[in-house]
Amino acid sequence: MAYIRKRNRRIFLIFLLPAILVLFLTTIYPMIYAGYLSFRSYDLAKLFVPRVFVGWANYREILSSSEFLHSLVVTFKLMAMTLSVQLVLGVGIALLVVQKLPGMPLARTLLMIPMMISPVIVGLVWLFLYFPELGYLNYFLSLAGIDAIPWISSTNWALWAIAIADIWQWTPFVMMGTAAALQSLSPEPYEAAMIDGNSRWDVFTRVTLPQLKPVLVSLMFLRAIDAFKIYDIIFVLTKGGPGDSTEVLSMFIYRQSFTFWRMGVGAAASFVSLVIIVVLITLFFKSLNRDQTA
Amino acid sequence: MSAITLHNVVKKYGAVQVVHGVDLDIAEGEFVVLLGPSGCGKTTTLRMVAGLEDVSGGTLSIGGQVVNDVAPKDRGVAMVFQNYALYPHMSVRQNMEFALRPMKLGKAEMDRRIAQTAGILGLDALLERRPAQLSGGQRQRVAMGRAMVRTPKVFLFDEPLSNLDAKLRTQVRWEIGKLHQRLGTTVLYVTHDQVEAMTLADKIVIMRDGHVEQVGTPEEVYAAPKSTFVATFIGSPSMNMIETRATGGRLVADGLSIPVPTRFGDRVKDGQEVTLGIRPIEIQRVAENAPGAMAARVEVTEYLGNEALLDLRVGSHDLMAEVPADQRAAPGETVHVRLNETALHLFDTRSGRSLAQ
Repeated sequence: MAYIRKRNRRIFLIFLLPAILVLFLTTIYPMIYAGYLSFRSYDLAKLFVPRVFVGWANYREILSSSEFLHSLVVTFKLMAMTLSVQLVLGVGIALLVVQKLPGMPLARTLLMIPMMISPVIVGLVWLFLYFPELGYLNYFLSLAGIDAIPWISSTNWALWAIAIADIWQWTPFVMMGTAAALQSLSPEPYEAAMIDGNSRWDVFTRVTLPQLKPVLVSLMFLRAIDAFKIYDIIFVLTKGGPGDSTEVLSMFIYRQSFTFWRMGVGAAASFVSLVIIVVLITLFFKSLNRDQTA
Repeated sequence: MSAITLHNVVKKYGAVQVVHGVDLDIAEGEFVVLLGPSGCGKTTTLRMVAGLEDVSGGTLSIGGQVVNDVAPKDRGVAMVFQNYALYPHMSVRQNMEFALRPMKLGKAEMDRRIAQTAGILGLDALLERRPAQLSGGQRQRVAMGRAMVRTPKVFLFDEPLSNLDAKLRTQVRWEIGKLHQRLGTTVLYVTHDQVEAMTLADKIVIMRDGHVEQVGTPEEVYAAPKSTFVATFIGSPSMNMIETRATGGRLVADGLSIPVPTRFGDRVKDGQEVTLGIRPIEIQRVAENAPGAMAARVEVTEYLGNEALLDLRVGSHDLMAEVPADQRAAPGETVHVRLNETALHLFDTRSGRSLAQ
């Protein structure tokens, strides 16, 4: 028995090894290396200058830099814009598509398409729509007699332009999760409420929503973590501009690392971003546990 | 005035008809049980009364008012569901409050009703718990409580005991009976369990394939079943059925010949195929030379304490007899039995209808 168990343990390792290897090479090693870099002065332009240990200098620099703090504010602003709209729209559409009406299964499948498109392509699609003179969006607005909107060329509109593209792509995710949760609710309490005469609004706010809450909280956390990493759409649409109006944290890191070639500062900013994401994930699991024990 | 009247009520799903013209009169305060095997249309009928299913044809009245097109909430009914249908995220108190909410009663009256109901059902100590923290029996009581606080004109029960274990089922069944005696509200109750029907009902409605097979008191459906279906469905163990042919005033089958009881008069025609029904308890062990004694081989014996069930082989027929435990016999033994002539049921084999008057 003991012999077999020992042998099995070794076999486990052999089967796990390829996955561990890939994970190590693509995730763990780069992370450790980034951690190492974040304490060094490393200029890509000066490849042959030794990478001197600078202690917390990189961290001090970014945490006191107004550009970094601005990028954090933009990130959270974008998060608030996209999450709130995605939550309302996602739940609304989910309530619609779970109805037993003709065409709803097809509608549900079609609505999922944006989610399956690569974010770079989504960015390109919206670029065509937003294009100042030739864009479809302004063309349709002009048909309705509305003046052209400088979607991606105005600091007032650019963040909304990005938010709209993100909302278009990720509302289906919220819809899908909510629809699945709605369909798992047992129908009898609804029949009881129907006989007792509870209004639709009462049933939605006091029966449906409380039961959806754990799922909605999970979906929002997942979206928040994603929103923190948003990069592709912004890179294609505005590259952080105009000015720094759409420079989110990931754009800040990119600019520091690959425009200014200051790898040490970029690595330090990445680590701050990692800490924030870890906090979000921890809160997420805490809320999951709370729902399970409640 | 009757509390509920169904007149020729029909339910169709597309081209499929599942309830075929049900007629039923339920008096004020009556406890009526819809009984039948699954798929007989009993739950559909109940759901039509509740308003959860549309009535495809006929008229349905509650309290003298035709309610075919009346919304469920305006019918004055409350329903207890098989799966309890409690709101899982609400406490027992909140579950009852939510049911009362549409009545706009005011806090004091609501609290009074909940306290009163909780008192009757013994839920006082459980008011702040959630359904997940309750046992099956307690959840069922909460479901009843939620129906009761609304003081409806009619209670509808949809197989309320089928999710409970056997012991709890007996207890909650007893509680429902007691509750009805106390409240005196009209009850329409659906079950497939004949014991529930027999113990609770003032009136049993036996349904089969969307038709009403027989309506009567528990005594009537037990003592005078109108068809072979009712005869075998009611009573446990179920009635023995033997197919015979009437020949010269006797009912003849393999290994068996019994004179046609005189009370059936001339309704049994010579040559007619007749199904003879006899309840197990009406088969008695007798001495070999007793009048009407038949030889039977014991196949299986089931000892139940006070009584024993004997699986008997008479000719090519299997019969179940229920005898006092001290009269049981070992498998393989040959015993002599007699069918109690006054307890014989005769049915026309073709139609399955009773030949009694």
